[in-house]
Amino acid sequence: MRILLIEDDAVLGAAVRDQIAGDGHSVDWVQRLDAADTAIAGVPYDLVLLDLMLPDGRGLPFLRRLRARGEATPVIILTALDQVSDRIEGLNAGADDYLVKPFDLAELSARIGSVARRYGGNPNPLITHGPLQIDLTARSIHRDGHPVQLTAREWALLEALLSRRGQLLSKAQLEDKLYAFDAEVESNTIEVHVSRLRKKLGADLIVTERGLGYRLGPA
Amino acid sequence: MKMPSSLQWRLALSLGALLTVLWLGAAWGTAVLARQAIEEVFDAALQETAQRILPLAVADVLGRDEADPTQRLAQSREHDEILSYAVHDAQGRLLLLSHDADPATFPPWRGVGFSQSATHRLYSEEALQGSVRLTVAEPLAHRAGVGREIQMGLGLPLVIFLPVALGAIVLGVRASLAPMRRFRERLAARGARDLSLVPADDLPTEIAPVAETLNDLLGRLAAAFEAERSFAANAAHELRTPLAGAIAQAQRLQSETSDPATKARAGDIEATLKRLTRLSERLMQLARAEGGRLRLDHASDLRPVARILTDELSRMTGAVRIALVLPTDPVMSDLDPDVFAILYRNLVENALRHGADGEPVQVSLSSEGVLTVANEGPVVPSEVLSRLIDRFERAGRHTDGSGLGLAIVHAVAQRIGGALVLKSPKTGQDAGFEASLTMPIVKGGKG
Repeated sequence: MRILLIEDDAVLGAAVRDQIAGDGHSVDWVQRLDAADTAIAGVPYDLVLLDLMLPDGRGLPFLRRLRARGEATPVIILTALDQVSDRIEGLNAGADDYLVKPFDLAELSARIGSVARRYGGNPNPLITHGPLQIDLTARSIHRDGHPVQLTAREWALLEALLSRRGQLLSKAQLEDKLYAFDAEVESNTIEVHVSRLRKKLGADLIVTERGLGYRLGPA
Repeated sequence: MKMPSSLQWRLALSLGALLTVLWLGAAWGTAVLARQAIEEVFDAALQETAQRILPLAVADVLGRDEADPTQRLAQSREHDEILSYAVHDAQGRLLLLSHDADPATFPPWRGVGFSQSATHRLYSEEALQGSVRLTVAEPLAHRAGVGREIQMGLGLPLVIFLPVALGAIVLGVRASLAPMRRFRERLAARGARDLSLVPADDLPTEIAPVAETLNDLLGRLAAAFEAERSFAANAAHELRTPLAGAIAQAQRLQSETSDPATKARAGDIEATLKRLTRLSERLMQLARAEGGRLRLDHASDLRPVARILTDELSRMTGAVRIALVLPTDPVMSDLDPDVFAILYRNLVENALRHGADGEPVQVSLSSEGVLTVANEGPVVPSEVLSRLIDRFERAGRHTDGSGLGLAIVHAVAQRIGGALVLKSPKTGQDAGFEASLTMPIVKGGKG
């Protein structure tokens, strides 16, 4: 998934970015709301992590602006502990979930996964696809009952395909989901990950539409 | 007489009384002066009449025989006689009498000039060295009647116009004081915790400074409360964000390192930071509980706060150990939702920490605003219960709480006028612990 992180604290922001990147998502991290506006105008993000207090304004008006423009991108707000009113206001303003600082990074990963699944139309983290049994929360996958290990990038690619089951995803769309702005993307990276996934999970898992992109194969 | 406390009635009464006295005084003065003037005019007429009649009377008396000493002048035409007269000689014998006159009207001769009997005003004149004496009499009743007519003429408009004037005064005073009344009604209509400015544009200049001072004070109070509230919010943010960063980095370190000793050390750092977080949170809550503004000028439903916190606390404990019971209708209260959250969180965390492991904590909020948090566990002795509330007192074996929880709840409870009731064993049981507290409730929705 391509995630926009809006957090002004350098230490917390770096840890969150590393955690999300470690989960295989691509992260764009901005520290100001104006930068967030620019970023969100140019990239179709799958999820936004929004701190409520930023140097150039509050997060809630930003969220309301976003929703007023009709942006349906899921938003998780990050807030300080004793302001329940902020949280209620945030949820009313259109946030999908919230995390209370300080939060556990494992909790953050779980929340991101759960919000993303809800938006993918299938909130159930347990997916059966042909011979595959996939647990998105535990990040475990079994092929005919045998566990298979996937790298973070392979997971991200699989999740992207699972979240748009049957739909065609272009190579550029997949690169967007796997890599942030500043990442160097080799021209054949997606092909490499696709072929590794096929090797691990079965050749007909991913269908190539030549010149157009990829889609999830029939179960 | 005690003045009424209403300024409006004071003004109306004093103005009305003053006007009545002045008017009555003026009317009385006018009547007295008019009376005097009338007396003078009547006297002059009386004197003139006497002096005109006298030569006629002399001629009449001289030209007649002695046989019939008393003569009544023949009536020329039937009429009511107001002025009557009599002519006597020096010996007091009656020589001539006007046709309606009663001889008893005329007292014995007392000389030329005005005199007065019980019933008449008299004027006497003499001629021929006192041998012809004429007295003209006018009944006092006639004069009094004329006086009464004049007084009536002066008094009647008074009787009609005085009530009208008094009514006009009342209306005028009411109209002039209307801005003050509106100001008072606006003040009375607002809630006790409403700190918005009171509109005072139409107030008279005498009262306007009062309203200005009041609005100035309200403004400063609202600003102070707002500053305190935003300070609390900012302090929470400023303190928690770096702590969150440090904790997150410690967690990253644990997941990135493969060295068990480093992993353990990062875990220690994380645990310490979390304890520091809890402590700072509690200290901030205590500051809020003892000094901050606890109630707002509007009411909100407490149920969503309870739901959110239950969800959060369940996430933190990793298992659903909280059984929450809420009424179906909103529980509206002007208690700051963040303050309710402080109460709720502390009571539930306390129950989770000290309750028997694995047993659910029962939380309920009644429609009357009673928040009850109960947990299983051994009976807490009553002397420990009473000491529990003291700051930093710890009830149980676990030491990860800073011990401030119940002290914070107690401080808030005292300031919102409710009492924190601690019971062990809990109601209707022979074990367990129960804490309850009544929230201020606003009936009938918004308040």
